[in-house]
Amino acid sequence: MPDITIQNLTKVYEESGDEIVAVDDVTLTIADGEFVTLVGPSGCGKTTTLRCVAGLNTPTSGTIHFGERDVTGIPVQERNIALLFQDIALYPHMSVQENMAYGLKIAGFSRKERIARVEEAAGLLQITDQLEKMPSELSGGQQQRVALGRSLVRDPEVFLFDEPMSDLDAKLKAELRPVIEKVTDEIGCPTLYVTHDQEEAMTMSDRVAVINDGELEQVAPPKEIYDEPESKFVSQFIGQPSTQFFDGRVRAVNGRGTLVVGDYEYEVSDGLKGWSGDDVRVGLRPQYITVSDDAEAGIPATHLLDEPLGDATHSFFETEFGEVIVVTDPDFEGNGGEYGLVFQSDYIRLFDVDSGVRIA
Amino acid sequence: MSSNEPPGGMFGLSYDSESRVFEALKLLSTAIIVLVGVWPIYWMIQLAFTEYETVEDAVTVFPLPEIFTLDNFAVLADPEMYTYMFNTVVVAIGTIVTVVVVSLIAGYGLARLSFPQKENFARILLIGYLFSPIVIGIPLYQIWRSIGLLDTRIGLIIALSALSMPFAVWLMWKYIMTIPEAHEEAAWVDGASRWRGFRDVVVPQCRPAIIAAALFAFALAWNDFTFAQILLPSTETTTFAPGVLRAMGQAQFLPDAHLMAISLVMTLPPLLFAYFMQSYLLKGFQVRAL
Repeated sequence: MPDITIQNLTKVYEESGDEIVAVDDVTLTIADGEFVTLVGPSGCGKTTTLRCVAGLNTPTSGTIHFGERDVTGIPVQERNIALLFQDIALYPHMSVQENMAYGLKIAGFSRKERIARVEEAAGLLQITDQLEKMPSELSGGQQQRVALGRSLVRDPEVFLFDEPMSDLDAKLKAELRPVIEKVTDEIGCPTLYVTHDQEEAMTMSDRVAVINDGELEQVAPPKEIYDEPESKFVSQFIGQPSTQFFDGRVRAVNGRGTLVVGDYEYEVSDGLKGWSGDDVRVGLRPQYITVSDDAEAGIPATHLLDEPLGDATHSFFETEFGEVIVVTDPDFEGNGGEYGLVFQSDYIRLFDVDSGVRIA
Repeated sequence: MSSNEPPGGMFGLSYDSESRVFEALKLLSTAIIVLVGVWPIYWMIQLAFTEYETVEDAVTVFPLPEIFTLDNFAVLADPEMYTYMFNTVVVAIGTIVTVVVVSLIAGYGLARLSFPQKENFARILLIGYLFSPIVIGIPLYQIWRSIGLLDTRIGLIIALSALSMPFAVWLMWKYIMTIPEAHEEAAWVDGASRWRGFRDVVVPQCRPAIIAAALFAFALAWNDFTFAQILLPSTETTTFAPGVLRAMGQAQFLPDAHLMAISLVMTLPPLLFAYFMQSYLLKGFQVRAL
């Protein structure tokens, strides 16, 4: 099966005379069997990108290849793709069985073969006992399983997901995630998964592509996206709770770059000399801030409230830099006291103030 | 007559007697409406089953067994009457089929395709309703005559379809807009062409709207008098309503009792149609923003 190559994809909409650039020069390759998630806030162009790959939208410029085949101008019917929709889009007037067999029927498979294939897929998805039901009789999770089955029986070249789980509750999502991974593994084709949920992106993907304002910010494996974000946006968008940001300045002291945040100094990497004297944005994940009982030990902070999650607690503090969230021990109880926040300087990431590009 | 009326306070009585008064008044008003609405139909039925010699002087409010007869229905065998009824049925079916097929396709186009001045185009459709059939009938007569559609059932079907079309197109347009586009897109992804997706996914979901449009077209075609009178001038091709009127005017051959018998037969189809389809009718009309 082929890979997907998206090259310089741009989509411009015209709305009452104004040009809106939905997708801006996106280039992305998804290898055969690879699961890539396109993640970003709503309106960032991720769904438009997916619809161009599907053939439901026509790109303004740029090309899309499935393997060697240029599909840019080929209609959706001839692309042999599978697509899962946000609103599931089962045919409400057909039974589950008919829903799953519809594509095969159009492709001209015999009735016997259709039934055999549907039953095989239903077994894999554990919906064999639902085949006679109508879609309206199924729960949201089961409906999405049927939609998966509808794709599975057709043995597509490319698998696309358009926020398929955004209407499901958290527990169902967690249940359905392994099912989706199983199905895409089973088919073994390149998969493009669009979501605004960074948790889905992190848990399911081989690589995560973060998109903002129509432009790709970073494409990397989940761990790398999390640890080494290339831009302020990526750092902020990926991870829960979100990365905390401070205004800082770089100063060269004894030939080493030193980061200054307010009155506090942190040793960071050597590569900062060139930035000496410049303002920077300082990003640090809440997991890498420690709370000390001694207010003198770090940045003085007044405790505001705790959100206990069981395995950890999210604690909110008021500091001279504004509100700061810290991930604390599950047993931590602040009780509105005075504390000192200590930064683990190894994990500090610096970003350019204007462009948001990572400096160090 | 609303049952949402608070049970007390209106007449200054206790809640208990208040609600009894309310129930009684409700019954009374229902009875009045039923009487006014149903009496003519009852009278038609009674006359249809009465020996026609006695109709003039011996009819009583309640039917008498001695003057009961089925003979009046023999008029159905009259070849002229048979032609009228047959023509009416053909025209009604033809109108329904034309209206449903054309409005589905037009409604789909309005709902799914974008073209300049779409909304204005749809609004212009409604202009047809500004004119009464008689106003349109005369020019239609001249046009139909010059293109050879005069005195043909096809001609009447086209005229009646055009009359039903604006409503039907609007209904389909708004109804199809309630069907998520993703359903069709899913069909395309499955390999269906646009036409096939329309046929397999959109049309089956439009069933309530199809039935509502069909009922509307049927009622219009079945009850039409003006167009049939103007566009089907010759006796052999005309439909029931003008046909019966002409027969009445012509001669003594059609006594009242016979007229009522044949009218009764012609009333049954719309009655049954409306009765069995009413739930669909309501669903069809429930579309918002229509």
